[in-house]
Amino acid sequence: MLPTITIDDEKCKEPLSCRKCLLICPSYVFGLGTNVGPQKFREIALSHFIVRGVRFDKCSGCMECVEICPQNAIQVSF
Amino acid sequence: MCVWCERYADGYERWYFNPANYARRLYKIRKEEVEAAGAEANPQAAGGMSLLGRDFLEAKERNDIEAMERMRREAEEISWRTHFGQVITLDDALKIADIMYPIAVMTCACRRSMQGLPDEENFTCMGMGPGMYKWERWPDTYRGGVQFLTPEEAKEVLTKLNKRGLVHCIYTFGTPYIGGLCNCDYPDCGGIRTRIDHGVRVLWKGHQVAQVDPELCNGCAACIHRCQFRALSFAPTRNKAYIDPIQCFGCGLCALECDQEAITLVERSSLPALVEAW
Repeated sequence: MLPTITIDDEKCKEPLSCRKCLLICPSYVFGLGTNVGPQKFREIALSHFIVRGVRFDKCSGCMECVEICPQNAIQVSF
Repeated sequence: MCVWCERYADGYERWYFNPANYARRLYKIRKEEVEAAGAEANPQAAGGMSLLGRDFLEAKERNDIEAMERMRREAEEISWRTHFGQVITLDDALKIADIMYPIAVMTCACRRSMQGLPDEENFTCMGMGPGMYKWERWPDTYRGGVQFLTPEEAKEVLTKLNKRGLVHCIYTFGTPYIGGLCNCDYPDCGGIRTRIDHGVRVLWKGHQVAQVDPELCNGCAACIHRCQFRALSFAPTRNKAYIDPIQCFGCGLCALECDQEAITLVERSSLPALVEAW
């Protein structure tokens, strides 16, 4: 069964520096990316980084990501 | 036979030994296509899954083979035209270091996406060819900068990464232009994951297949952790390493770890059932 995973970007400000959910997830379900495309001659600001559920088929529903998120930004439901 | 060799080897033993496939005249990233392929709300978050979205996983879950096949074919077609990989051995990677210039070590986009790995811990990817001279144009693709290497330095880095357990893969950027020499593992690598988890051939198997000589294998199991493709396991009853030839990608990492020289690589073309099993 595939989970629905939502991340509140308003709460999750700088996932590249935090990355707690990426590291706690036993099966690397999350993907870290940006909400803007590649920009010529400019490094993308940390505030443009976002986390999303990607490999939903590997999520066991352990909820460790929900528990560890310091901003309570992650919701996982089945 | 390897279709890429048929099309692009031009007399060389393998297509990635043909210097023309690294040449400047081919260097042209088909940017529109790449962007279209990953055009989701979170193009980069997709991290190796950009060609397959949740709809593929949903089709898989409801066992909708027809929909899965259609999405798989579409993903493969885009990938083969724009950006796909093939597993190569350390020997082949070292040969490429001699025919290709420049080579630079850079940070790995997959590990950034999978783990948010800090740049200083993430210099495991190699970029090759004229595209590397333009790295400063795309600071985010080359986050952390690049270090240009001499051929000898490149060989040292490749050997070290191999020792660490990473598999070498070449990647095209607008096929047949080869611009990437990645050093990959499961579960970090988007290419390996897409292939192993879903059977989508964004990463092709290599030209060889590993075989165990049971006479020479002493059951030490030192090789077991070297396989990133779930092809190698330990057979307790026989007390030997076991390699599934169908599942083997021919990276050769297990063979390099074996003190007894019990694992050898044979040509895929010498095994009738595997000739077309890329």
